[in-house]
Amino acid sequence: MSNVPKEAIEVIAQSIGITNLSPDVAIALAPDVEYRVREIMQEAIKCMRHSRRTVLTADDVDSALNLRNMEPIYGFTSRDALRFKRAAGHKDLFYIDDKDVEFKEVMESPLSKAPIDTSVTSHWLAIEGIQPAIPENASVEAAPSDGKKAEYKDDGTSVDVKLPVKHVLSRELQLYFDKIAEITMNRSFSVVFKQALLSLATDSGVHPLVPYFTYFIADEVARNLNNFPVLFALMRVARSLLQNEHIHIEPYLHQLMPSIITCLVAKRLGNKFTDNHWELRNFAAKLVASICKRFGHVYHNLQPRVTRTLLHAFLDPTKTFPQHYGAIQGLAALGPSVVRLLILPNLEAYLQLLEPEMALEKQKNEIKRHEARCVYGALLRAAGLCMYDRLKMFPSLLAPPTRPIWKSNGKVATTNKRKASTDNLMQQPPAKKIATESAMGMMPINSMQADVQGAASSFSNTVGGSNIGVSSMTRPLSNDNMLGREVGGRVSKTSTVLAQAWKEDTDAGNLLASLFELFGESMLSFTPNLSFHSSFD
Amino acid sequence: MENMQAVNNFVAAYLKKKGFKEAEQLLEDLQNKDSAPIDFHNDPELAKFIHHFSQSEDDVARYQDGYSKLRSWTYSSLDLYKHELLRVLYPVFIHSFMDMVAKGHLQEARTFFNNFREDHELMHSRDLQKLEGVLSQSHLEEMEFARSLRQSKVNIKICQYSYDLLLQYLHKTQSTAMLGVINEHINFQVSSGQPSSISDDAEVVTLIGSCQDTANQINQKEIHWGLLEDSLEERLEKAGGLLSDSEKTEEENKEGDGDETKKRSVESGKQGASTKKLKKEKALNATAKSARPEASTTPAAPRVKAKLPLPLMYIQSTEVEQSILEDLRNRVQLSSVLLPSVSFYTFLNTHNGLNCSSISHDGSLVAGGFSDSSLKVWDMAKLGQQGGSSILQAENDSTSSEHVVGPNGGKRSYTLFQGHSGPVHSATFSPLGDFILSSSADTTIRLWSTKLNANLVCYKGHNYPVWDVQFSPVGHYFASASHDRTARIWSMDRIQPLRIMAGHLSDVDCVQWHANCNYIATGSSDKTVRLWDVQNGECVRIFIGHRSMILSLAMSPDGRYMASGDEDGMIMMWDISSGRCITPLMGHSSCVWTVAFSCEGSLLASGSADCTVKLWDVTTSAKVPRNEEKSGNPNRLRLLKTLATKSTPVYSVQFSRRNLLFAAGALSKNL
Repeated sequence: MSNVPKEAIEVIAQSIGITNLSPDVAIALAPDVEYRVREIMQEAIKCMRHSRRTVLTADDVDSALNLRNMEPIYGFTSRDALRFKRAAGHKDLFYIDDKDVEFKEVMESPLSKAPIDTSVTSHWLAIEGIQPAIPENASVEAAPSDGKKAEYKDDGTSVDVKLPVKHVLSRELQLYFDKIAEITMNRSFSVVFKQALLSLATDSGVHPLVPYFTYFIADEVARNLNNFPVLFALMRVARSLLQNEHIHIEPYLHQLMPSIITCLVAKRLGNKFTDNHWELRNFAAKLVASICKRFGHVYHNLQPRVTRTLLHAFLDPTKTFPQHYGAIQGLAALGPSVVRLLILPNLEAYLQLLEPEMALEKQKNEIKRHEARCVYGALLRAAGLCMYDRLKMFPSLLAPPTRPIWKSNGKVATTNKRKASTDNLMQQPPAKKIATESAMGMMPINSMQADVQGAASSFSNTVGGSNIGVSSMTRPLSNDNMLGREVGGRVSKTSTVLAQAWKEDTDAGNLLASLFELFGESMLSFTPNLSFHSSFD
Repeated sequence: MENMQAVNNFVAAYLKKKGFKEAEQLLEDLQNKDSAPIDFHNDPELAKFIHHFSQSEDDVARYQDGYSKLRSWTYSSLDLYKHELLRVLYPVFIHSFMDMVAKGHLQEARTFFNNFREDHELMHSRDLQKLEGVLSQSHLEEMEFARSLRQSKVNIKICQYSYDLLLQYLHKTQSTAMLGVINEHINFQVSSGQPSSISDDAEVVTLIGSCQDTANQINQKEIHWGLLEDSLEERLEKAGGLLSDSEKTEEENKEGDGDETKKRSVESGKQGASTKKLKKEKALNATAKSARPEASTTPAAPRVKAKLPLPLMYIQSTEVEQSILEDLRNRVQLSSVLLPSVSFYTFLNTHNGLNCSSISHDGSLVAGGFSDSSLKVWDMAKLGQQGGSSILQAENDSTSSEHVVGPNGGKRSYTLFQGHSGPVHSATFSPLGDFILSSSADTTIRLWSTKLNANLVCYKGHNYPVWDVQFSPVGHYFASASHDRTARIWSMDRIQPLRIMAGHLSDVDCVQWHANCNYIATGSSDKTVRLWDVQNGECVRIFIGHRSMILSLAMSPDGRYMASGDEDGMIMMWDISSGRCITPLMGHSSCVWTVAFSCEGSLLASGSADCTVKLWDVTTSAKVPRNEEKSGNPNRLRLLKTLATKSTPVYSVQFSRRNLLFAAGALSKNL
């Protein structure tokens, strides 16, 4: 009659050594056992509720037993809910999968990692009632406007039922999608593909397809890393989607970015030597830059994440040259300030690695040599871009480093500059100044600081506000020092100059000199300023 | 033979009296047919057995039969009266079951129970789960729920005609068993006129027997739900130049105030308060007189005096007062069109160990109570800086040696409070954020200082786990709720409780202070919410209507309303003065862990295990009952917004003084 059969009581009795349990006792005990079990469960559920859980755990049962002054049941404690398995062939029979563990194995196995400590993060769940579309929030797509309608209905229906909205695609859209996908995969050299791209970039009706396209791109990039034409076609599709003003692509960026970054810094793109993967990398770099420019203000951590990824690729000597090339191109595309901030400080060290690879006698492999030369070109371009930017800002600085006139000019310029910046940004530590001035929002200074570890020691204390005065005082001094030395023995402190390039008021002239030192004459062709040329010559 | 005749006559009479016609018939037949009857008189045991047997057999069948007939009759009754008659079924059902158990027919009782439980599953599933476990007479005695059911009568409101119908049916069918049950356990309140509406059956839902009468009685008591006079809000208005000579509010409270002041002066005399304090209070009263009620559209809440001596430090610190006034000035006026901003604190890597969370009034401190007995407090202001460096450390292991703080170099992002010896079930910040109270399964409550990062006091008094603890709105006092079925009032400076509130029939699961500090509300596993007078420890209101354990409570800032959330996801809005439910707010699909009113009382926020924060419009929800009486449109609600989190059950919500909403929860992946 009770859910506990008397046989169960008999079995338990036997297991604790009572062999001659009379059936009457078993029958009498069975209902009471069930009652006690229910009682314990009732208390356990209370404990569960007060632990703010909806799943009962062994802990809850233990604390319920504790409440009743009983010994807890040892051996089942686990933070997660127990996983029951269904016994094969029985409908209602479950068991806990409890494997035998060899004691020796446990003893000999290395200590498992300590669990990550608890932490708290905060984010905006809603701003004035509107949920911002940030990764911390659940996607709001699921409940669009029809939910709202129900809420404001006046009849006071008691429950506001929100069914999961099914995404319905019209037949036309499905056909469109299939067609575009097919063209992208198979006929990317045809004229039709160009028209398809145009359609994607301008059509306002493709919005419902955006999630499908992003998924398509992500999926196919992962699958076709060896297929160069397909990769290129996919990137073109991505660009067209990004160009389209009518669609709302932000929510899908997180899906799109990894594919694009892959096309930028992947080890191998395509499987033939003839595949011009350099071009694909250039294309992807431009794409990344345009995304950062367009959505950087919406997702403040977008660009820092991209730059961090790229910088890791750039600074990792185990990576191949094409990967370095992609990283450099990506960083360069993000603008001169990124170059100044991240590439220049590492430039000298990197060139030391690169030069032997380019030399005919040291690197016999022609492909390798070619790759190294491509990377060199990319570096040159990046540095030139940066230099050009600097020169635009300080036209008065166009003086060769060896000329004495430069000194006074430079000083005037720097003081002006400093004044201007202090006017704008009162009392901000230099780190912040940079972050705000470089238009696209740099990486947080903290991680910067660690990344440019090779730099001079003056780096390590830039965070504290108290150092501002000191560092700004010492800077002109060191400049003077350097100048003196340069005039005397032309002892180049190239690395120091480069490392300090990120500081706003480091003299552009110095910088140029250092770059010139590294790159030689070819540097000059990247600074297309006639007056400069004449004065230098 | 004579003897036997006597026995037979006795048995026949007994059967007749009990209405066992068939048995009587049987006996007669037996007597007539059998010329050589069994030797009854030689074997009295046998007679007894036969007697017992015939009665019991019959008895069980009668319950089964009677109930199923009554049931089918009810279901086929007139539509207009059906729902009234259906209400009768449930008490009849559970009492029939318990009668059968009491008489020892366990097997039959179980079958009976299983046959018909489906009918009542919807409304009374939790009661049924409890009763299902009743398997012997002793269980009936032991189980409080069953005992209280059996000892008491259920009140059922029914209209005259339904009542007649029922009686007719019972007499016609001669179902004496049912009649017996109904007579014994149901108290009909027959009203003339039309049957009541279907939705009005809230009172029947919770069958707590004796409570019904006492609840009605208790709910007649007077309640002064107004706000404390001379609150900071009031001072702000004064400062804003809203002075006026209106003394309307004073008049409203005169009668109440008279004896209260007397009481209080006695009380403060008892407590040995200094004369200085009395003077101060007088001065406060004087200023209160010149204050005028809020000049807003809503009718102003009347002012009442605190029955407790208020802590001095709260009033005196001008610096604190200034900052609070500043907050009040900058408060955003929320309404159904202007929803609050919600800042969400997510606990990561809790490994299912987080039991509760609490947020200080300004949102700068977040506390979490864990099942490993620890209490951890995060300073959100500091967290921003540390967060940055910890990310850095995580990503640049190679360079970490250069930093002062190593990657795992022992520096935690939180302050760890250790002292409890059992899971921490609740934590609460004092209004100024300088103290935290935590309650634990080790039956103690501990007071911690956030300034000193140390344990100050351990309050022992409860005998079982303390489920909840809450600071009063003015600090200093706090209330606790425990598994020992009591709620207790404490003050920070005494290790013994000041008041013990006993009366709940099951665990007290949550506790909340009224805005004027004169009352506390407690929610319990017995599905009721009670309001207690802090001064005399009496229960002054019982709110009946929830269908499951109450998990969260909130009081509106004007002291007029109370919201309570339960295990099933239902939130009920109560009018404190009448003790009636204004409207049930349905929308959550799982436990409502927390509810909170916005500072001006226009919005209600609720957080639930279904990973959402919902915002409800209080003003329309609360206004309805007045119109409702005419329009007859109950259960109206306004769900303004559902904010879904990413698989994070919401453990606590809290409005800051500026009406920014803070919410906290632990990210749990295996939901």
